[in-house]
Amino acid sequence: MSAVAAIKQEAGVRAGFRLSGRAVIAALLALAGFVLVGQGLYIHAKAALAQVLLERAFDDSLATGKPVKAWGWADTWPVARIEVPRLKQSAIALRGASGEALAFGPGHLDGTPEAGERGTAIYAAHRDTHFAFLKDVTPGDEIVVRRADGSVARFRIEGTRVVRWDASGLDPHAAGRNLALVTCWPFDATTRGPLRYVVEARAID
Amino acid sequence: MSYALIDLPPLGGDIPEAPAPGGFRRFLLNLALLSLAFVASVGGLIVSTVAASAETAARTLAFVTPGDMKSGSLLFKGSEPGKYVEAPRVKADYDVTVSGPTIRTRVTQAFTNPTDGWVEGVYVYPLPEKGAVDAMKLIVGDRVIVADVKERQEAKRVYEEAKADGKTAALVEQERPNLFTNSVANIGPGETIVVQMEYQAPATQVEQRMSLRIPLVVAPRYMPTPVLQTVSMDERGWGVTQAGANDPVPDRDRISPPVNDPRKVAPTNPVTITVRLNAGFALGEVASSTHRLKEQVLSDDSRIVALDEADVPADRDFELSWTPKSGPTPSVGLFRERIGAEDYVLGYVTPPAVEPQAEKRPREAIFVIDNSGSMSGPSMAQAKASLIFALDRLTPADRFDVIRFDDTMERLFMDTVDATPENVARAKDFVSRLTADGGTEMLPPLKAALFDPRPSEQRYLRQIVFLTDGAIGDEQRMFEAIGANRGRSRLFMVGIGSAPNSYLMTRAAELGRGTFTHIGGTEEVDARMRELFAKLESPVVTGLSAKFEQGVADMTPKILPDLYRGEPLVFAAKIAEAKGALTLSGMIGDTPWSAKLDLAKAAPGAGVSKLWARRKIDDVEVALTLRETKPEAADAAILKLALAHQLTTRLTSLVAVDQTPRRPAGAKLTRADVPLNLPAGWDFDKVFGEQPGSELAPPEMRKAEAEGLMKVAYQGVAQAKAPAQATRAVQAQAPLPQTATDAELKTLLGFALILLSLGLLIVNPARRRTA
Repeated sequence: MSAVAAIKQEAGVRAGFRLSGRAVIAALLALAGFVLVGQGLYIHAKAALAQVLLERAFDDSLATGKPVKAWGWADTWPVARIEVPRLKQSAIALRGASGEALAFGPGHLDGTPEAGERGTAIYAAHRDTHFAFLKDVTPGDEIVVRRADGSVARFRIEGTRVVRWDASGLDPHAAGRNLALVTCWPFDATTRGPLRYVVEARAID
Repeated sequence: MSYALIDLPPLGGDIPEAPAPGGFRRFLLNLALLSLAFVASVGGLIVSTVAASAETAARTLAFVTPGDMKSGSLLFKGSEPGKYVEAPRVKADYDVTVSGPTIRTRVTQAFTNPTDGWVEGVYVYPLPEKGAVDAMKLIVGDRVIVADVKERQEAKRVYEEAKADGKTAALVEQERPNLFTNSVANIGPGETIVVQMEYQAPATQVEQRMSLRIPLVVAPRYMPTPVLQTVSMDERGWGVTQAGANDPVPDRDRISPPVNDPRKVAPTNPVTITVRLNAGFALGEVASSTHRLKEQVLSDDSRIVALDEADVPADRDFELSWTPKSGPTPSVGLFRERIGAEDYVLGYVTPPAVEPQAEKRPREAIFVIDNSGSMSGPSMAQAKASLIFALDRLTPADRFDVIRFDDTMERLFMDTVDATPENVARAKDFVSRLTADGGTEMLPPLKAALFDPRPSEQRYLRQIVFLTDGAIGDEQRMFEAIGANRGRSRLFMVGIGSAPNSYLMTRAAELGRGTFTHIGGTEEVDARMRELFAKLESPVVTGLSAKFEQGVADMTPKILPDLYRGEPLVFAAKIAEAKGALTLSGMIGDTPWSAKLDLAKAAPGAGVSKLWARRKIDDVEVALTLRETKPEAADAAILKLALAHQLTTRLTSLVAVDQTPRRPAGAKLTRADVPLNLPAGWDFDKVFGEQPGSELAPPEMRKAEAEGLMKVAYQGVAQAKAPAQATRAVQAQAPLPQTATDAELKTLLGFALILLSLGLLIVNPARRRTA
């Protein structure tokens, strides 16, 4: 109650020394607006800052050869760096694609092989942060994945598709060494939907 | 396996962004705005709800997929790729020949295409999990088409070509180790097709009793509890049979065809079973716990047993067991088959039971109990009763601990404690208060149980008793954890309920050098737990080895397992010539034991070579699970064995093509045709029904499980049925996580609210003055 009283008082001061119902409502709306904008910014800030920390942790794990968590309480750790040299874009991917992991970076789906192994390695990330650049890739582009064990796998993009999340057609045990980068589609939508954008690539030697 | 599952987070699309880990919040500058999160949470809630309901509708399955099938049934391809409608079955005949330890079964099933169009039928049927399908014949009219084993892709190509050319063709593929699919192309209008498969399986021996089990379910999908046990044989089919709240297809009853009605099934779907039993020893009791039998005695050791015609409830597994007339079951059985220039030998050896010594080693027991939502109902009651039974068997010299888990876990004591009456009472109280709820996170409790603070302690036998229904999809991670951490612990899996994930259980127990006990009903708790404890308390036969006197033998299993009381050692070997002696030796507790078998005296046994090959393939799969071999090497080994021994595996299929084109060039055979060809009497609305609303969606906690089940279904479909010309879109489906944030939406909403408030502030004073 005291917070509301304080807000009322503050609003009252701005509204010309009198407490008015309208002013209180306006103040609350403004507050809610700022909170929402703040949350939106927070999501992006978190995504960006996490990548800085992850970059550092990934370098450490390359140096030590052991998984290094970016911060002590993280429940996942960096497993690969995904680069698209033509677009000068890169992101550090985390193990697993839980909602928490995806807030910080692309997630390597459990149960799919590591990039460069036989099968289809699948990485997923948010369309408006780490994988926003997927809308700019074109077939023929190269994707470079450096794994935490130091090995580097190169892939050439073969094509892109839009699929339903539950009908991806991605077989983690498919023949050949494949990579799939996945994000939500359409890129400019503001609500969540069942469609996913899949960038498929095949290993080049 | 190519349909190994992907472990995904809940994909509901409503993974909220807001709850970052508390620590991260601490670490990041959180703008002080989160202290007012209550306002925003209203906005957030709206966003999430919209997203959730959008995807809920998409998540329901209106059709059947082969992965849903628990019985052999003919499915007709539906209007969507990977979706099918079911046709009624006409007649099924099982002709079983038991020769000592091997069982050869010929399954003949006649189906009628009730439509007046040309259809492609997809036939899904279960088999015993150790069964090896090696022959298939397709009989269309007076034509008999014998199938060949070919590499899977090649077989599919041959099939698709024939299909396109209007030729009748059949393709048998392995969906899961115990679930097979048979696609039949170009079935004429009103035509009856006969499909005949043959498979080889070993008989099961437990103590005195030999038995066989035929997964035999006519009524599809919805079956009474005993029927669900068929599916407990299901290797990869974790949880596919879960009924009720966990069902991935909450509207499944709407798509149950009339054939499901048992009153109608009996007269129209007669099943005949004939078992030619040549036990190899004087028979005592021959009985079935599932069906009434009539028998004809041929001689002391052979009988013909058939289903009593008056009573043919073909709605559950058929089980038959036989015991010797007097004395114990022979403790040694040896059979051989000569194929080409090589002999194949199959042996059953039961080491003698040695009574536990007066001073047995005390046990350090860790009991792990699953109280996740999938266990709710009778399963939970059985699990609790089993665990309380186990706690009662502890002696004060033992140590113990109890761990319970759903998507959280709780450990009663931090480490094992002495089994004092007070501690046991506390544990029983803890167990009796458990309720089933929540998801199934099995890895943390497994790791906690395997973690051994005293790895070199020899005074205690460290035993883990794990009670669960195994409704999980990340088996591989479980296996890896067991392989890496088992140390001195032994893992005893207790499968609870009518349909535990027996693939998980069997292999986990194998890797954990323990046993798998299945408790199918509350009334079985006592007997099965008593058997388990007899094993836990009796000396184990360890360090088993086999030595062939003459020649080098390729033996499987490669490393002989430890045996518990009453368990036979079953082995198969390939050897240039079966002669000379085979010496088995090991330790029963602290007592050395050895047995010498004369290979030349082995009785002839048809199909031994196929069992050897099937068992070798299992060895390769285990090595792959333990990462002892590369996937490429494993595939090559499996392919070689399968082609040499004509077995259907995940890499090889049986394909038969009738060379005469039959379907007229003008007649269509497409998936789109099929909804028109629904069997008479079917209610289209009921089959393709309205999409259920979000109120039918599985509860939040179970989403992951439900989606996991769908993954199986989809992947099962994809494996076998995607036609060659279809895009990869219908192949194995890796469901993809939600990858959109609501940052933009929130930002936009926020700005809108700020603008609104500014508007209010500006307009407000003027209004008040005029008022």
